[in-house]
Amino acid sequence: MSSKPVAKPEETKDPKAIKKVLDEDDEFEDFPAEEWEEDETEVPGGGKPNLWEESWDDDDLSEDFSKQLREELKKVDAQKSGSESQR
Amino acid sequence: MESLIRAWRTAHVDENGKLLASTISLTNTDLEEFAYSTNPARVAEDIFRTLEYENNASRPKITNKTGLEAWAEVYVAYWKVAQALERHDEVDWAQVFVAMKDMTQYVWAVIRGFQNGLWEVWQLEVLYTACKYLRYVAIRTDEAKRSNGEDTWKSLEDAARIINRAFNVCLNDRAELAQSRKWGTYYIINILFKTYFKLNAITLSKNILKALVANTTEMPDLLDFRTSDVVTFKYYCGVIAFLDEDYVRAEEHLEMAYQLCHKAAQKNKELILTYLIPTKLLTRRQLPSATLLKPYPLLESLFLPLAQCIKSGDLRGYDENLARGEDWFVKKRIFLTLERGRDITLRNLFRKVYLAAGESKTRIPVDHFKAAVSWKSGVELETEEVECYLANMIYKGYIKGYISREKGMVVLSGSNAFPGTGV
Repeated sequence: MSSKPVAKPEETKDPKAIKKVLDEDDEFEDFPAEEWEEDETEVPGGGKPNLWEESWDDDDLSEDFSKQLREELKKVDAQKSGSESQR
Repeated sequence: MESLIRAWRTAHVDENGKLLASTISLTNTDLEEFAYSTNPARVAEDIFRTLEYENNASRPKITNKTGLEAWAEVYVAYWKVAQALERHDEVDWAQVFVAMKDMTQYVWAVIRGFQNGLWEVWQLEVLYTACKYLRYVAIRTDEAKRSNGEDTWKSLEDAARIINRAFNVCLNDRAELAQSRKWGTYYIINILFKTYFKLNAITLSKNILKALVANTTEMPDLLDFRTSDVVTFKYYCGVIAFLDEDYVRAEEHLEMAYQLCHKAAQKNKELILTYLIPTKLLTRRQLPSATLLKPYPLLESLFLPLAQCIKSGDLRGYDENLARGEDWFVKKRIFLTLERGRDITLRNLFRKVYLAAGESKTRIPVDHFKAAVSWKSGVELETEEVECYLANMIYKGYIKGYISREKGMVVLSGSNAFPGTGV
């Protein structure tokens, strides 16, 4: 049989260590307080400046894109004429 | 032992739930002293006498003989827990778990036994603490077994059944609202959610939600509960809806969890965003800004490149970044949802082709789309493949128009050819 050492669970009574085991599991943590005021929330009443971008409205089409696309089209055309001349 | 039982008395006199809960907590600093304060032969009698002494010294008395007996059982079980934790060089978690189960049942008995006006809502903390540590110990027990090669979550399943009973006790309490155990419902539900998620038994979480919906009469409004209970509950509801692919509901729950979350609770905010980001991508075509992601290095490293690729129509980049984060995305169960972001990347790329041709052009050669896809995906495509992509986009409502195959043209709608632009 293999001589693989059996990993001994790290035995400890330390509550912090108990907590750590659970944290590793990446679960929702207990909050340090049970109640808090609105101004302690992540997005209080009026809300924050919009932190989300709408990808649909990304209109800043750069010159580069058009230019590069024309280059790519040339490649497509070149391929075409290439394949046509082969016939 | 005396200091512990004195705390029991003080807690009752002051109606201090936290203090009372601390007398059965695994993190109590008197735990070791308590473990060595008596022995198996004497423990029941010692505890009962100490409780009796403190009870008699209170004016008015805290409880009657039945009450004292019920509490004595709790502390005897707690002593066994303390002993198992403190008196051995190596903790036998299975032994701790057996004692914890007893303790939780006795706590439950105390709570159930105090129905005639003697139960007060501040004592709910005791139930919370018992359930919380029951779960902790169950996980430790199972993990000790798992590290020895035994594939089991038996203890945790056992704990879940006990906590589920606590849930029903809370849910079905008919006492008047001011003193109702209904106020414990959401805290206990949240412990159950955490447990069921660990057990990978999401269906059981849904059963809890069904039971909750069936018992709405007399249940106080969610927002009347403690904010910590509300945020945790909303997070789990959001993830459950997300896994059900009900993204509209998921967004409602997660958005609320995010807004109400304590601003210093970094880890929890990160967890909420982990699901809110893919959700909003699908429901609103919204992407997280760099500012939003900045405080979360992990999310920033995984989501920001994806967002940039979506915006620039970078198909290859999208695939590469998706593959790079695959392990984590799969672990979080967001991979399949994020895969759908590829459609949005493709749609953005097609829209750029459309814009590059000049706004007013409604007829664009298929070759242009083909060139763009080949360029951005790094793969030379056949015309048929590109047509297939286009047809798919049209079918899914990302593009308004049709393909004229004879002419090799895509004919786009004169207005709003790419819905969602607000044009």
